[in-house]
Amino acid sequence: MTASDVRDTDPGDGRISTPSTTRAPAWSSGAPSWPPSALPPLAPDRDQATPDWSEVVEHFREGLVVCDADGVVRHVSPVAERLLPEVVPGAPLAASGVPGLSEGSPGGFTHRGRRLTARQVPLSAGRCCWYVEDVTESVSRADALLAERARSAFLAVVGDKLGNPLHPDRAAAAVVRLAVPTLAEVAVLVLAPRAGRARWWRASRVDDEAPMVDSGVLAGPALPAAIAEGLTGVEPHALDWLVEQAVDAGWLPGLTGADSAARVVPLPGRDAPVGVLLVARRSSRWYDEDDVGLIRAFAARAGAALTTALLYRDQAEVADTLQASLLPVEPAETAGVQWGTAYRPAQAGLRIGGDFYGSHRLADGGSVFFLGDVSGKGVEAAVFTGQLRQCLQALHRVESHPGRLLRLLNDALLETTQAHGQGRFATIVLGVARPQRDGGVTLTMAGGGHLPPLVLRTSGEVESVPLRGMLIGVVPDPRVGEVTVRLEPGETCLLYSDGVTEARGGRRGDELFGAERLVTALTGCQRMPAPALAERVEQVTCDWLGHGDHDDIAVLALRAVSPGGRAARHLHSVPTSTSADEQPESHA
Amino acid sequence: MTAATTMDPTDAYPGYLACLADADEYAAIDVALGLLDAGVPPERVLLDLVAPAQAEVGERWARNEWSVAQEHAATHISERVVAAVAAHANPRPTGGRIVVACMDGEWHALPPRLVAEVLRLRGWQVTFLGASVPAAHLVSYLHRHDAQAVALACALPMRLPHAHRMIEACRRSDVPVVVGGRGFGADGRWAARLGAAWAPNAPAAAELIADERALRRVPAAQLGHLADDEYASLVRRRGELIDSALTDLRERVPATREYTAAQLDSTVSDLGHIVDSLAASLYVDDASLFTEFVGWLVEILTSRGVPASAVALTLEHYAAVLRDFPRASDAVARSRAGLPATPRSGG
Repeated sequence: MTASDVRDTDPGDGRISTPSTTRAPAWSSGAPSWPPSALPPLAPDRDQATPDWSEVVEHFREGLVVCDADGVVRHVSPVAERLLPEVVPGAPLAASGVPGLSEGSPGGFTHRGRRLTARQVPLSAGRCCWYVEDVTESVSRADALLAERARSAFLAVVGDKLGNPLHPDRAAAAVVRLAVPTLAEVAVLVLAPRAGRARWWRASRVDDEAPMVDSGVLAGPALPAAIAEGLTGVEPHALDWLVEQAVDAGWLPGLTGADSAARVVPLPGRDAPVGVLLVARRSSRWYDEDDVGLIRAFAARAGAALTTALLYRDQAEVADTLQASLLPVEPAETAGVQWGTAYRPAQAGLRIGGDFYGSHRLADGGSVFFLGDVSGKGVEAAVFTGQLRQCLQALHRVESHPGRLLRLLNDALLETTQAHGQGRFATIVLGVARPQRDGGVTLTMAGGGHLPPLVLRTSGEVESVPLRGMLIGVVPDPRVGEVTVRLEPGETCLLYSDGVTEARGGRRGDELFGAERLVTALTGCQRMPAPALAERVEQVTCDWLGHGDHDDIAVLALRAVSPGGRAARHLHSVPTSTSADEQPESHA
Repeated sequence: MTAATTMDPTDAYPGYLACLADADEYAAIDVALGLLDAGVPPERVLLDLVAPAQAEVGERWARNEWSVAQEHAATHISERVVAAVAAHANPRPTGGRIVVACMDGEWHALPPRLVAEVLRLRGWQVTFLGASVPAAHLVSYLHRHDAQAVALACALPMRLPHAHRMIEACRRSDVPVVVGGRGFGADGRWAARLGAAWAPNAPAAAELIADERALRRVPAAQLGHLADDEYASLVRRRGELIDSALTDLRERVPATREYTAAQLDSTVSDLGHIVDSLAASLYVDDASLFTEFVGWLVEILTSRGVPASAVALTLEHYAAVLRDFPRASDAVARSRAGLPATPRSGG
C-alpha cells in the first residue's frame, strides 16, 4: 500500500471496491481519509510528487498516538510528544497516567495547563489511534465571548426591569435584587440622605432561589465613611478597609472581613449621586477590571432609574394634591335622600375631567345638588370645574332658589372667564331637594343647557323631565329653565353627562349610545338603590364603548327613601356604635 | 326583624338570602352583625355567608329568576354588608400595602371586595380600587404608592387578553401579581398560561401574598401560539364577523327581522361575546374556553326563551367563515359537537 494508492480509494463511502478497502475492513466512515495501514512505519518516499506522510502528519494541528492491539504505544507524532510528554513508544498508554486518554472525555480535559480534546479512532488489526488537539486558545476566546454575552444579557435584563418608571421604593428594591447573584452575594443600596436620614435596601443570596431583600433607615452621621464618601461622588479605593466598614455596619450577613471582596460605586443622579451601591462577595472571586466595568454600567442604569422614580414621585405628590381638590366630592348624607354617583374621566391615568357633581346641605334640611359638564377636557377643564364648584359652595349660602342661584353662578363665571380672556362655558342641572314627611322628596330644578334629568317611577316607567335653559358663562342674563318634580318614596331622579348618551360603540364602534338605550337600560330598575343605579348606568355605557375612547362620564342618582321607617334600622349599619347596646333591640 | 342568635353562618344563610330577595339592606346587615356579635369570626361571615349568597344571586340571574335590577340591588346590599362587617372588625394594619382591583371592563366587584376584606382582616393595608379599573389608573396608582402585591380579579374568560395586558402592566411596575376569579378557569389553568400566580379563593390569595418569593417564582407566560396571527386577525375582523352573523341570522330565522331595537342590541352584544370568547380561547390556546362559554350562553339564552338552535346557527356560520383559521375552526367545531343538531332548513 502506497500513498499513491490512496488517491484512488473512495474516501468514506466504501461501496467502491478497491484493494485498500478490502485490505482494511476496520476502516470506518468516520475515520480520516487516509488508510491507517500507512502508519507505522511510513512508506519511504518514492518520488517528490507524492507527499511525505511523516512530514505532513508533523504539521497537522492534531497530535497522533498510535497503539497496538495490546494498548502499547507504537508511534507518537511530534505534536503529541509536545502535548503529552508522558506518552512514550513501547510503554502501555494506560501507564502514562493521562486521564483523558483512558476514560475518554468528550468535552476535553486539562493537562499541564493546556485545554486538550482527544478522540479515539479504531484502526485495522485491533490497533487504534488517538487524535489529540490543543484547544486552549479557542476555548479562552469562547469563554471571553460567553462572558461578554452574559454581561450584555445581564445589562439587557437590568434595562428591561429598570426601564419602566417605578415607585422609588420598588426601584431601590429592584436594584439590589438585580445585583444578586451576578454582581454580588450581598448588595446594599444607600440612598442619599433626606432630612438627615439615609434609607438602605439590601439583597442577599440565601440559596439558588431569588435573593432576600430587606431595608432600613440610618441616621446620616452613622453612615460608614466609605459610603459617605461615595455619596459625594468619589469612588473609594481602600478596598479592604471598605469590607471592614461594611461588616461593622452589619450589612454583610455570612461574610467576614477577611474572606470577602467589596466595591462601592456611586449611582449617578441629577447633580449629586442619588445613592451608593455596595457589592460584596467571597474573595474566591475578586472584582477584576471587567467586573468593575460591569458594576459601573449597572450603577449608571440604576442611578437613572432611581432619579426618574424620585422625580416622578415628587411630581406625582404635587399632582395628587391638586387632583384631590379637583375630584368631585361625594354628596353629603341627607336624611330622606339616598345618593348614588359614578364618575369615569376620559383620561383614566389623570382621574380628573370636565364633568362635575356635588351637593351641599341647606340649613332647612334640604340639599342643593348639581351635575354639569364644562367645555374642554383634561386638566384645564378640571380646573374650571373646581372654580365652578367653589362658586357654588359660596353662593348656596346666600341663595337657595335654584333659578336665582344659577343666574348668580352665571354672573360669577362670566366675570372670571372675561377676566382670564378664556371662552369657557358649562352646562348644568342645579336643584334643591326637600324631603317631605311622607318619605317623598320635592325637587326644584333649574336647567343650564344640560341634558334633561330622568325620573324612575315606582311603576317602572322612566320619565324625562322637561328642563331647558341656556349654557352658563356665555351671556349676562341667560334663559334658565325651571321645573318642580315630586318623588314618591322609592322613586329616583337621575342626572347624567353627555359622556353617557354620546358614548360611541356598538357593532362598528361609531354608533351613539343615545337617550333611548339609556331609558331601556333603566326601565324596570325602580327598586335599585341609588348607588347601584349609578353604577349600572356607568356599566352599560362602558359595555357599549367596548374599549374605545370616551368622554368624561358622570352620573348622580338621588332616591327618595322614607327617613322615619329606616332610621332605627340604619343605626345598626353605623359601625362605630357599640353592638352590645344594640343587641337586645335587634334580637327582640 | 328577628335574627336568631346563631354561631353558624350556614344556619343564617336562608334568612340572609331572603333579605337580599326583599332588597332589605338593613335586615341583611342585622343578620351579619348578629353573627359577629355571637362570636363568629368576620372572615367566616364574609366567606360562608356573603360569598355563597352572592354566588346564588348570580345563579338566579342566570336562570332568569331574577332581573338584572334585582341582581344589582342584591349585590349592592352585599357590598353594604361587607362594609359593615369590615368596619365592625376594624383590624389594625401591620403588613404592607396590597392593591385589589377588577380588570378593565370587569364589573363583578364583590368577589375581589371579599378578598380585599379578608386581606385587611389578616393585617394587610389594603386599597380596593373597585370595578373596571383602567390599566392606566392602576399603573399610576402603583407609581405613587409602593404596593407589595396586586390582586386582580377577572370573572369572564372573554376578558383574558385584556387581563394579560393588565398583568404585564403591573409586572413592568415590578409589583408581583396574584389573580383570581372564574375568568381564569375553574382550576386557574389560564392564569398559568398568562404567567400569573393564581389563587382559588381569598384565604389562598392571602397565603400567596404573604410569600413574596413564591409570587416572583411564577413561570413566564406561554403564548408562542400567538405567532400564527389568528387571534389578531379575529380581533381585527370583530365588527365584520358580528355583521355577517347578524345578516345570516336574519336570512335564516325570519323572526329576527322583527326584533325591537333592544332585542337587536342584545343580539349584537351576544354575538360580540361569542367573537370575544373565541378570540380569548385563541389567546390562551385552549378550545375548552370557547366550548365552556357556548355551554353557558345556551343555558342563559334557553332560560330566556331563545332556543339553542339560534346559537347553533351562528356557530355553523362561523365554522364556514373561519375555515382558514385552523385553531378557531377547531374550537367552533368542538363547541358545535356539544350542541343539539342544527335544523337544516333555511328558516
